Amino acid sequence: MSDVLLDIKDLRKYFPIQRGFLRRNGGAVRAVDGVSLSVCTGETIGIVGESGCGKSTTGRSILRLVEPTSGSVMFQGKDILKLSKSQMRVMRREMQVVFQDPYASLNPHYTVMQTLLEPLEVHRLHTPKERQERVYSILERVGLDPSYASRYPHEFSGGQRQRIGIARALILNPKLMILDEPVAALDVSIQSQVINLLEDIQKDFSLTNLFIAHDLSVVKHISDRILVMYLGKMAEFATSEELFVDPLHPYTRALLSAVPIPNPSVKRERIILSGDLPSPVNPPSGCVFHTRCPIVQDICKQDVPEWRALKPNHYVACHLA
Amino acid sequence: MSHVIDVESLSVEFNINNQFFKAVRDVSFYIDSGETLGLVGESGCGKSVTSLAILQLLTKSARIHGQVQYGGNDLLLLGSDQMRKIRGNEISMIFQEPMTSLNPVYTIGAQIAEALLLHKNISRKEANRLAVELLHKVGIPRPNEILKDYPHQLSGGMRQRVMISIAMSCNPKLLIADEPTTALDVTIQAQILELMRQISDDFNTSILMITHDLGVVAETCDRVAVMYAGRIVEQGKVDDIFFHPQHPYTKGLLNAIPKIDAETKRRLEPISGNVPSLTRMPAGCAFAPRCPMVMDKCRTDLPDLIPIDDGHYSRCWLNNLKEDSQ
Repeated sequence: MSDVLLDIKDLRKYFPIQRGFLRRNGGAVRAVDGVSLSVCTGETIGIVGESGCGKSTTGRSILRLVEPTSGSVMFQGKDILKLSKSQMRVMRREMQVVFQDPYASLNPHYTVMQTLLEPLEVHRLHTPKERQERVYSILERVGLDPSYASRYPHEFSGGQRQRIGIARALILNPKLMILDEPVAALDVSIQSQVINLLEDIQKDFSLTNLFIAHDLSVVKHISDRILVMYLGKMAEFATSEELFVDPLHPYTRALLSAVPIPNPSVKRERIILSGDLPSPVNPPSGCVFHTRCPIVQDICKQDVPEWRALKPNHYVACHLA
Repeated sequence: MSHVIDVESLSVEFNINNQFFKAVRDVSFYIDSGETLGLVGESGCGKSVTSLAILQLLTKSARIHGQVQYGGNDLLLLGSDQMRKIRGNEISMIFQEPMTSLNPVYTIGAQIAEALLLHKNISRKEANRLAVELLHKVGIPRPNEILKDYPHQLSGGMRQRVMISIAMSCNPKLLIADEPTTALDVTIQAQILELMRQISDDFNTSILMITHDLGVVAETCDRVAVMYAGRIVEQGKVDDIFFHPQHPYTKGLLNAIPKIDAETKRRLEPISGNVPSLTRMPAGCAFAPRCPMVMDKCRTDLPDLIPIDDGHYSRCWLNNLKEDSQ
């Protein structure tokens, strides 16, 4: 368990803004601003936060689908940010991704068979005949009838399409799966089917998962440890049980209290945050959360809070925690 | 308490390749004044079509049957001029995506004033003054400046507040909210739900809350109607639905969602299979192919909405059996 598969250190991704005809430098969107995270083999880490907090960009930076600005990503002891393009392509066999929108992430002109064969062909794995057999067996594994292999994406429902997306990621036998909002676009009754499938394949294929989502109930259900992000920065990191029982960051508390609970007899003290997310182009000074924080003090406006462990395995970036 | 609106056996059919298919089948419900009714279901169950039919916002080719009794009239029989006087004035609506429901080329102020000028006999100056007041009421800071902004300059939560201020501009008796917070982040969702609760309390506005999120239902609704494949399968007070669900579909939905307040982790119990498509609706009970308790009768005969308790109904043969044995 304590075997570290992925070690991210001070990952940053700034998207430059170019203004006007001369493309002058107009500052940068600080999408990810100093994320450090150690992921152990076999565990599921959840990354939560609201839109624009940098959770997806973090996932994509790890795969180098967007090129990080700085930092290091050690995967199985190698810094993958230093790999060449062709080395990176080989490395991607080990790290696969499932996206939110199964409508947009499958090629509509490809049959399921073509979609699933492509990764095997790109990585030159198996003989053509073995490849086909592999496709059939993986389809069965994700709960689709192998006879569906000749169909096109539009012939499937949302839940089935997401199963195809999962099959495409699984077919290379990866070690790490980055799941970017894999169930957000699905209906309630289908969502739980896909969550159960993800849990099963994690066990069967001994996968390490990075589960990126905005839905806290889903993240709590599936994750061992959870990272809460706000405006590109890490706010809090703890085990799943710990985070929900004893949230230390005021943002985590507000986030947890905002989730509607499907139980009419539960009446909660709700922390309503005022205002909207500030712009990541011009993040607030000091603690980035101070503009919306209900317990803000003077120090929060000036000093950036340190990332510290308040308990074993429970980290937080807040002056007042 | 009097009913603000009474929907009776509403059916909506759409033409697909020269064949008519029923998207909404025999839907009946009422809403009392000041009450919030939740219409819950998954995509394609007909919940949005129901709300659009009430306001005559569906395409002309849709065939609508049934009655929508409101203020002594059947809304389905009103002409377009009469309907226009009701829409936005007595019954107003907010949609899921506030970016697509605001006009991108008009300022916020112009769009709020438009609703006021259309329904009230007031001057433009007065309308602008009211617009500032409304924006203030929905919690928008610096309303005088925001009035001159265009929709793209506002965040999602702010846009939804603007939509609510437009919907509330004429003090409607009924507000239809179609997935009003689905596109918003949780902290913003909490703000908007709080705002809607306040408005409903302050103005005694009735709300028809259309959503797929059972958490939102539990927090905002007084009564709930659960829809599946175009029909209401269960209806009752919010406590009935969450604590004594009768229909296997309602039970299935409640078991399928991960619970944030659960102390121990349990495996989710999904509903197997998929929602049937409009063109391939099963005979008998539409839920039969996915139902864990299915009996032979379910595949051939459609059950009625059977009363369970005061105001609590379930459309399931199992409830019928219980009744027979009693």
